[in-house]
Amino acid sequence: MNRTIGLGAAILMLAGVVLAYSTFFTVRMTEQALVLQFGDPRVAITEPGLNWKIPFIQNVIYFDKRILNLDSPAEEIIAGDQKRLVVDAFARYRIVDPLKFYQAVRDIRQAETRLRPVFVSALRNVLGEESLETLVRDDRSGLMIRIKDDFNTATANLGVEIVDVRIRRADLPPQNSQAVFRRMQTEREREAAELRAQGAETAQRIRSRADRDVTVLLAEAQRESDTIRGEGDAKRNGIFADAYGRDPEFFSFYRSMLAYEEGLASDTTTMVISPEGDFFRYFGDRSGRN
Amino acid sequence: MPWSNQNGDGNGGWQGGGGGRGPWGQPPQGGGQQPPDLEELIRKGQERLRSFIPGGGNGGGGTMAGGGNNRGILLILALLVLGFLAYGSVYRVNTNEQGVVLRFGAYVYSTAPGLHFKLPYPIESVLTPAVTEVNQINIGMRSSSRLGERSTGASIAVPEESQMLTGDENIVDINFSVFWKIADASDYLFNVENPEQTVKAVAESVMREVVGQSAFQVLQTTGRLQAQVAVQVRMQEILDSYKAGISVTEVKLAKVDPPAAVIDAFRDVQAARADQERLRNEAESYANTVVPQARGESEKLIQAASAYREQTVAQAQGESQRFLSIYNEYKDAKSVTRERMYLETMERVLGGMNKVLMDQNGNGAIPYLPLNQLAPGSASQNGGQR
Repeated sequence: MNRTIGLGAAILMLAGVVLAYSTFFTVRMTEQALVLQFGDPRVAITEPGLNWKIPFIQNVIYFDKRILNLDSPAEEIIAGDQKRLVVDAFARYRIVDPLKFYQAVRDIRQAETRLRPVFVSALRNVLGEESLETLVRDDRSGLMIRIKDDFNTATANLGVEIVDVRIRRADLPPQNSQAVFRRMQTEREREAAELRAQGAETAQRIRSRADRDVTVLLAEAQRESDTIRGEGDAKRNGIFADAYGRDPEFFSFYRSMLAYEEGLASDTTTMVISPEGDFFRYFGDRSGRN
Repeated sequence: MPWSNQNGDGNGGWQGGGGGRGPWGQPPQGGGQQPPDLEELIRKGQERLRSFIPGGGNGGGGTMAGGGNNRGILLILALLVLGFLAYGSVYRVNTNEQGVVLRFGAYVYSTAPGLHFKLPYPIESVLTPAVTEVNQINIGMRSSSRLGERSTGASIAVPEESQMLTGDENIVDINFSVFWKIADASDYLFNVENPEQTVKAVAESVMREVVGQSAFQVLQTTGRLQAQVAVQVRMQEILDSYKAGISVTEVKLAKVDPPAAVIDAFRDVQAARADQERLRNEAESYANTVVPQARGESEKLIQAASAYREQTVAQAQGESQRFLSIYNEYKDAKSVTRERMYLETMERVLGGMNKVLMDQNGNGAIPYLPLNQLAPGSASQNGGQR
């Protein structure tokens, strides 16, 4: 008897617990929920906390409330100026309307397969109108906003909001990269050659200027030296003229005497003379008359 | 999983549910008082059940005997429940963490480091993200120590992450690190799916955007710091727009190089710059040697000339002075002096030389002059006849 009572109590308690579990449900901070009644969506719950539903008749499905990531595969895209680019972008989106979302795509996996081609086509459409320069340098953020807006309008009926579109990579395809590498290399080679040539030019200029300076210095020195020597010679002439001018006749006698002495004084001279002339005046005649 | 903190298993909830009416949503109850309550409740329940079933009132003795047995089991059960409740009600927040308390999944409040109480599962749960920790994300390289071996600090390059187009359509190889931490724990936990990956993706995208706006040369030299700041600011803007609860503390450019394929050419430019400098220095050293030499040379020439001038003048003055002295003497006794000078000079001149005296007036002999024999050295033939 007691045993059956105990069993009954246990069964009742179990039933209570099961009932409680199928009535109450929590919605977490990161989630939002949709209450379905036999598959028919009844109410959307976007605030976290404890909620209840009719047990067994209604069930709950949860959707992420956070900002979600959508990667696009790396796509080769032809930009407006016919240049090829490998573009790798990602979008950030959020489920804003769980009901629409559920009706349109059911779950996130499906949503991604629906969103991805739309994303890629938005990318292609916007980038196809713009040049590579615009994408890389001039207005990348502007283009990203345009892609985001296009993407948003295309997905409005899916119950999602595109929060942001960012282009991660926008690079040249490998073969074009090689061309860029070659260009960079030749540019550097050009620069190196230019630097070396400039070095040689500078060196040459410095050397030749030095050579010129040397020549000029020496020539000027020569000029000055000749001037000085000339001065010396002129002064000498002046001095001599001044002195010798007093008696030219005596000068010529005196100078001849000096010259004889200087010019003939050595032992090496042999002279053949006849004993005549002034010197030999007394040689044959005591009176020296002839 | 951060939720793992409360594995206050089903048993605790189960019993709690059975004991208190209106299990969830009831204000906090002292956990310590629950087990006696529970026991009492169960007993009351039994009594009520007994009173429900009229026939069951008599079997007192039997139940008392069975009750002793039951009581032991119940006591153990109650202790177990108590243990689980205590375990589920106390939590610790480490110094580098912040406690985020959720009630039925909804954020209620945050707690500072220390020991705290909360309502047991399934009413409240706690997340403890490490908020003071600065996280680092490397982009462009992977440290090989990620697989456990700490010893090797070497990193593996990831060219598809590190090579990017610059504004002047060059390709640059960039490695950089992003340091970030949690600024707002609840935003961080609840607003963005996979925050770490988000930071990385945003960092990559922003770096490419910034690099795309600068020229290659600038980026390598003066633009480096600006790029770091620009990336940090822009990243923060984007993450804030996601309400990610993340603060980017620093962006560090580790390497800004030309790609490996062309780095030799870039190094050669450096070498060429050095060569240029070297050539100029060599030329300058040449100039610096040659010009002073020439200056010395010219000085020498000038000095020699001026020496010549002085010498010449001095000589001339000496000679003329000598002449004048003799002349002064001569003036007074012209003929005598003249005669004397002549004779003295002739004496000196003829005295020192070989001479051959020949009288031409005497006989008509033809003089034969064997000049070769006459000359002691090199003969000078001159019939000097003045």
